[in-house]
Amino acid sequence: MIAHIFEYSAPTDLKEALGQLASGGKPLAGGMSLIPIMKLRLAAPEHVVDLGRIVALNYIREEAGTLHAGAMTTHYQIESSPLVRSRCPLLAEAASHIGDVQVRNMGTIGGSAAHADPAADYPASLMALEVQFRLASSSGERTVSVEDFFVDTFATALQPGEIITEVIIPVEDPSAGVSYQKMVQPASGYAIVGVAARITKSGGKVTKARVGVTGLGPKAFRAKAAEKLLEGTEGTAADIAKAAAAVSEGVESNTDLHASANYRTQMARVYAGRALSVAVSRAT
Amino acid sequence: MATTTITRTEPLVGKRIRRREDPRLITGTATYVEDIQIPGMHHACILRSPHAAARIRSITTQPALDMPGVVAVFTGADTQGIGPVPCGASLPGLRVPYHRILATDRVYFVGHAVAVVVATDKYIARDAIDLIEVDYEPLPAVADPEKAIAPGAPPVHPEWPDNVAFTFHQEGGDIDKAFAEADVVVKQRITSQRLIPTAMETRGVVAEWRPGEKSLTLRSSTQIPHLMRTLVAQMLSIPENRLRVITPEVGGGFGSKFNVYAEEALMGFIAMKIHKPVKWIESRRENFLCTIHGRGHVDYFELAAKRDGTMLGLKLKLIQDLGAYHQLLTPLIPTFSVLMMPGLYKFANIQADITGVFTNCVPTDAYRGAGRPEATHGIERMVDILAAELKMDPAEIRFKNFVQPDEFPYATPTGLSYDSGNYAAPLEKALAAVDYPHLLAEQAKAREAGKLMGIGISSYGEICAVGPSPAMPAGGWESATVKIEPTGKVTIMTGISPHGQGEETTFAQIAADELGVDIDDVLVIHGDTTVVQYGIGTFGSRGTAVGGSALYFALQDLKAKIKKFGAMLLDSDDILFANGQCICNKTGKSVTIAEVAGASYRAMKLPPDTEPGMVATRFWEPPNFTFPFGAHIVVTEVDKDTGDIAIKRYVAVDDIGKIINPLIVDGQIHGGVAQGLGQALWEQAVYDDNGQLITGELMDYALPRASRMPWIESSHTVTPSPVNPLGVKGVGEAGTIGCSPAVVNSVVNALQPFGIRHIDMPLTSEKIWKLVNAGGQA
Amino acid sequence: MKINGTYLVHLPQERAYALLQDPEILAKCMPGCDRLDKVAENEYEMKMKMAIASMSGLFDGRVKLADQQPPSSFRLLVEGKGKIGFLKGDGLLKIETGDETTNVIYEGDVQIGGTMAAVGQRLLDTTSKMMIKRFFDKFAEVTRDLKTPGPVPAQLQD
Repeated sequence: MIAHIFEYSAPTDLKEALGQLASGGKPLAGGMSLIPIMKLRLAAPEHVVDLGRIVALNYIREEAGTLHAGAMTTHYQIESSPLVRSRCPLLAEAASHIGDVQVRNMGTIGGSAAHADPAADYPASLMALEVQFRLASSSGERTVSVEDFFVDTFATALQPGEIITEVIIPVEDPSAGVSYQKMVQPASGYAIVGVAARITKSGGKVTKARVGVTGLGPKAFRAKAAEKLLEGTEGTAADIAKAAAAVSEGVESNTDLHASANYRTQMARVYAGRALSVAVSRAT
Repeated sequence: MATTTITRTEPLVGKRIRRREDPRLITGTATYVEDIQIPGMHHACILRSPHAAARIRSITTQPALDMPGVVAVFTGADTQGIGPVPCGASLPGLRVPYHRILATDRVYFVGHAVAVVVATDKYIARDAIDLIEVDYEPLPAVADPEKAIAPGAPPVHPEWPDNVAFTFHQEGGDIDKAFAEADVVVKQRITSQRLIPTAMETRGVVAEWRPGEKSLTLRSSTQIPHLMRTLVAQMLSIPENRLRVITPEVGGGFGSKFNVYAEEALMGFIAMKIHKPVKWIESRRENFLCTIHGRGHVDYFELAAKRDGTMLGLKLKLIQDLGAYHQLLTPLIPTFSVLMMPGLYKFANIQADITGVFTNCVPTDAYRGAGRPEATHGIERMVDILAAELKMDPAEIRFKNFVQPDEFPYATPTGLSYDSGNYAAPLEKALAAVDYPHLLAEQAKAREAGKLMGIGISSYGEICAVGPSPAMPAGGWESATVKIEPTGKVTIMTGISPHGQGEETTFAQIAADELGVDIDDVLVIHGDTTVVQYGIGTFGSRGTAVGGSALYFALQDLKAKIKKFGAMLLDSDDILFANGQCICNKTGKSVTIAEVAGASYRAMKLPPDTEPGMVATRFWEPPNFTFPFGAHIVVTEVDKDTGDIAIKRYVAVDDIGKIINPLIVDGQIHGGVAQGLGQALWEQAVYDDNGQLITGELMDYALPRASRMPWIESSHTVTPSPVNPLGVKGVGEAGTIGCSPAVVNSVVNALQPFGIRHIDMPLTSEKIWKLVNAGGQA
Repeated sequence: MKINGTYLVHLPQERAYALLQDPEILAKCMPGCDRLDKVAENEYEMKMKMAIASMSGLFDGRVKLADQQPPSSFRLLVEGKGKIGFLKGDGLLKIETGDETTNVIYEGDVQIGGTMAAVGQRLLDTTSKMMIKRFFDKFAEVTRDLKTPGPVPAQLQD
């Protein structure tokens, strides 16, 4: 459990960091995935650029209808932030499910998203929330929608030398109901499946449904068929069941020691049902 | 000399005293093997086979040797002079493969040590490992014991193509008659999966050779320092008295450190070769791959009974997955299962056949319970299966078959003599705790409401205080030395090797009570073969029952000597020793224990036929094992949609004889239950068909987590053991043994509406979900 | 682990059969592979750099083509070994004809060993699927302009 030799730098300035990344450095955020991978020698970056000292990447603020979270904001900061809890409760709820206390104190929202683990907790909510990522490299900045960001298993829209600097989250409609429900893999704590749901109601009808799913397929995704089935309904148990049954539509389910593809698919439906029920009940 | 009135201080035995070893453990001031730094120390890293079976065509070490900082690389060719990793078990016809400390021409399991690099720091050592080229010719492997004994299976050891290491047959009573007279026979295949002990501290060794003194010191994270000294001295062909084994703080063992491993001899060999101290610390990956696993049973049970529930006889065909080699006691572990197979029930007829099977996996050996959890799981599942078959209440059928309180000592058909017991008492207490009739009514209501609620009972017995010497390959006695120093401080040197069991506290309690001294004046020393007299070690729930008894007798010797000196100092024959003072009954004059001790060392005057000093040593041989017992009741609820199991209540009533420290006993029960739950619900070491351990990390091997533990309602009945003077039975393994059948019985009971009779562990959510949603097909 | 799947390629059957065995095409399409060096009839060596997310490893690989039944099926055996373990794939590829398009149906077995096996079981299925998908995506890309029948690549002529 000893990593290969590597160069380590911990710049305090973003520009400096981007320069180092441009010349081949590997970004280190909270280190909750990269460090174990390095210790197992499954990765051997020559130069690790620790982003942990860049104060400018750690913030949560509200601006004109959106929340902005710096990429190096820890899960615990998200989970416990009064601002996130009131303006975007789904994200805070999702953060509270990640790993354990130690992991939440170290792991960051940017690091988690950039790693794009197919069973990570955050991406389900990031999908349901339709967030945007602010990316930066030495050659400039750009903004990418979450749908374009997650490309495949461990694969994102990030180009070499590029990092997430900020996650932009729309402020939640105060009347919306949200929920993140997760089946926990007993060894790792990752999601066997995790479903994030956002429901807005008006006049007794579901006007907007957003469902993000993690753990089920090669990457987190929006279950748009389920959303469609629910929108326009009254959100009764039967409506929810129908929508939940469609959550796995078009997805080839993962299989591993802890859950076969069939079981995962079924659990995605069960947990979608649970997340939707809670979200519907919370929507006012 | 002061005159004092006697006020009897309250005894410490029986008190909830906080563990005296804990402050250093929780403040990071304890010294583990990894904390040891010796000037000039080098570091070793071991190259291990990625194949479960392969021929080694060649090993190229030169590129590693060329790396700056690398001092030496050794392979199997260099270490052929070292004796094999020892197997202490002997069974008739046992096939013992020659277990070299480094593989030579062939590897037998993933993780098999192939070469070792020694370097000036651990980082260089690890980097150099990647520079060694091994040319392997992969061979077919077999990881499943039943597949291994099927025709055509690849041979693990080519010299024994049937993969059978031994067979063992035991019979008691008249099994054929029992089955002929039976109204009903229930049969079930029950597995007890491979488990990874996962001590918090992995193994580690520091070896130091002093060429001038021709002496080798090994610091090792072990449960058996003295046995290790004897065995490693033999492996290295050095005089035993020039080998010192020191056990620093040990962060858990659960049996996995009740062993002598290749690395202990290997580090000794290296230190003697390079004349430098060398350290090796096992990584978690290595711990999973190379430290022994536990369990690994496939059991075929047949239970014969009368229609009224009277059990008549039990047959067991036991297939033990041994792994590729025998570690210290590997082949003996399933024989413990056979000894314990009748459980607490008084049928007189048994038949058992063990087949010990080689597989291309890391060896199995003693893991918390060592053979007894498997046996208990088997009999307690079979009793429930019989109860279901006869439509009897599981509690009722147990009461009907228990050995009765007036039948002790009770001779079992497996040749044991149960020491003492009242087997109904803990079950009655547990049933009362859950209000059984009410609970049954609640279950009936829950079932009507479509809920899957389960009630599971286990009435377990176990063998502890291991054990009388004839039952153990290297002796089963234990030793203690007690010294009262000239200032009156008390030093205990025990032959056991505590590594979490808390004897630094419990032994101090015993000594403080016996000698009437302050507990803070008592120091318990263990785990250094040069300081402590020979001892056997800590395993098999023996520490207090055997080691504590040796201590008790040494204390009695000392008390007699104290009284002699007290009589001399007080010039009286009428002496009482109490509360740390000798008191003359006539005059009321007294001397303190410190005064007595001081006088004994100054020896200006000695009592008749008495030597100076205040030291006593006892080696105590127990006349029998002890047999703790108890009843656990588990209430579960199964989520139909997901197969998740929720433990609603966990009631444990354990009879472990007399209790020295209830706080420590609580901890032992909690920890034991945690590991029992681990086996019942989550843990499994999974090898794929090619012998790759695919649960090779804590990412996939599901240990119990604190957050998943139920509340344990723990209480006791107390039936003292007549075997030892303390009346204790042992508690280290009780929780584990009682737990798993209670959990599985509860979940099977919850799934009764689906006609489920048995489920193999671990009860993963998917397994349960399939049973619920596919009408009984797992 | 068993794997299976079907990919649609926009090539006629015979063309697909030939190109799927063309070492230059294979080298281009196999993730992490630059070049195949022929060591025997239908047998090639290669260096592979497998990279998934932050993880990467170098492998000495070997590719073997066997049981060729032109134009409908052949077996593809891939082996690789490196410091983080070894992998072995044994797959039967069936090439079934449509009109303009062809279905490639594969079924086989993937084995991994060493560190990869011990820590990677959670991701084995997902990443195997992803690797195969990458192979066929790349195959589609590099064969886009080779649709029309042309000379069979030199390597397959002998």
